[in-house]
Amino acid sequence: MAAQDAAAVLDTRAEASGLDAADARAAEARSGFGQWLLVLGFAVLALVFVLPLLLMLSDAFKSPAEIVKVPPTLLPQNPSWQAFRTVLQEAPFLTWYRNSLVVSLSVTAACLVTSSLGGYIFAKFDFPLKNVLFTLVLATMMIPFPVLLIPTYVIANKLHLLNTLWALILPGVVSAFGIFLLRQFAAGIPSDLIEAARLDGASEFAIFARIIVPLVRPALGALGVFTFLASWNDYLWPLVAINDLDKSTLPLALNFFNTAHSTRYDLVMAAATMAVVPVLIIFLIFQRQIVKALVLAGMK
Amino acid sequence: MSAVDLPAAAPAAAPRKRGRPPGYASQLAFVVAGLVPIMTFFAIFAFAPIAIVVWLSFLKYNQLAPTAPFIGLRNYAFAFQKDPYFLNALAVTLKYAVVAVPLNLAIALPVALGLNQITRLRAVFRSAFFLPTVASAVAVSLIWRSIYDAQAGWLDGLVGWLGIPSQSWLGDPSLALWSIMVAAVWQDLGYNILILLAGLQTIPEDFYDASKVDGAGVWARFTDITVPLLSRTLLFVTVLTMISYLQQFTHVAVMPNNPGDPLHSTETMVLYIYTKAFRNMQLGYASAMSIVLMAIILVVTLVQMRLLRSRWEY
Repeated sequence: MAAQDAAAVLDTRAEASGLDAADARAAEARSGFGQWLLVLGFAVLALVFVLPLLLMLSDAFKSPAEIVKVPPTLLPQNPSWQAFRTVLQEAPFLTWYRNSLVVSLSVTAACLVTSSLGGYIFAKFDFPLKNVLFTLVLATMMIPFPVLLIPTYVIANKLHLLNTLWALILPGVVSAFGIFLLRQFAAGIPSDLIEAARLDGASEFAIFARIIVPLVRPALGALGVFTFLASWNDYLWPLVAINDLDKSTLPLALNFFNTAHSTRYDLVMAAATMAVVPVLIIFLIFQRQIVKALVLAGMK
Repeated sequence: MSAVDLPAAAPAAAPRKRGRPPGYASQLAFVVAGLVPIMTFFAIFAFAPIAIVVWLSFLKYNQLAPTAPFIGLRNYAFAFQKDPYFLNALAVTLKYAVVAVPLNLAIALPVALGLNQITRLRAVFRSAFFLPTVASAVAVSLIWRSIYDAQAGWLDGLVGWLGIPSQSWLGDPSLALWSIMVAAVWQDLGYNILILLAGLQTIPEDFYDASKVDGAGVWARFTDITVPLLSRTLLFVTVLTMISYLQQFTHVAVMPNNPGDPLHSTETMVLYIYTKAFRNMQLGYASAMSIVLMAIILVVTLVQMRLLRSRWEY
């Protein structure tokens, strides 16, 4: 059936990004002494590389007395949750968490919908002004966000969005990169498949929702990861758009917390740990899919 | 990946749509219904901002002043002729990007080449290098701030152990930008390693086998096979990294005691634009500097693509 063929086509394209082909190649093992030496070297290198993250964890579990010791201790001598408790008591950390989640999940969901819809429309329909509109959308990809910081602030001000979470969500609803990525994917879907569904009486929306969306899922995964991380970690725009502490997202709040307690590294590191570790855990759980998705998005 | 279950999908949609044959009208309706909201968002948050930033750059527009007179190109002239801090920010930005991009690639490429050679634990190492990329730049800045701390910092302990005198890593104007660069490059190395590794893995093993038969050495195989076949990936990675480093903001805003400290030595263009616009409320002047930044990024991108493409195309 045509649908299976299309799925197969898209799957091969996903594989072409190379990660699995390489595992097969790796099976043709180059083992021996050199191989083990290389693995050992990488083990040491990787450990040194993640050391700053381990230091963050170590500091977060130290007591207020231990954190000021010179020279610093490598591991906490009496690991305690004291710093985490203080952070949660002194600061509206859960509110910041909720704000970050609301903003990032809304932006990601909206962006996936508009990108798949827009990508499909630009790939598979003919209509007046199509090329003009698509060129305009693509052209916006050339403009880095900091350049648009001031006018975006002016517009958000006019729309009375400043200092609300809407200011962080609405500008992220559409993404030129997302539409471009999804158009590339939708273009690979055979038009016969869409025509066949039309002949069967499927509505245009049903074709989009039941045929197109499942077929472009790998691209949606990639875009979703990108969008969520970018939104979750964004600092510049929230810094401009948000004033109140209870409307802040995590990066903004972390820096506020640092300014307020700059000498208390135990507290700052406990706050950083709470902001970073959940994302790291999610990454480690889904790393295969995420890595594949990021490569896919990067290779386009 | 699951294939589409078309027979199940069609009957579900059929009862509503029977009697209205799918034609140009319903397709056009779908296009309009889908694109109008999307293009509205683009109009408000992409097209209009571009027009506004250009327009504002011609105004003497201060949010605190009652009027915003049109002054033509005077904002631009002021930036280049009378504002030493702008020229400083320009120099800091270029210095940062010109050093940080090669630094990034000089680490990312050998690591990717090495990872491509190992057969065990590759995914584990790849993830280890990618972890900092997932963390927020603010959190990473705070971690490195504590590492660089002059009293309780780890780095001073380490260099002391090596017999090097203690340094004011973030307080010395000749050191601060480099200290911040190390933290920022540490944070986003993982992405380039990932992309380069994926690029390496698309090179067919046969090419290497054939050249081994021909008696080519390791270096010859690297320059004759790896470099040309990796050229597209290298170009992509270089341009993207350069574009992102020209926009450095978060690390230089968070790591020093005050953004851009010490003595403006870490004040990048985006940071200076931010300060002028939202601390001094000079939105017109800051808009003109934004346009200059965009021009620099466009020119650098085009020049790089031209240069690298002609060198690496085969």
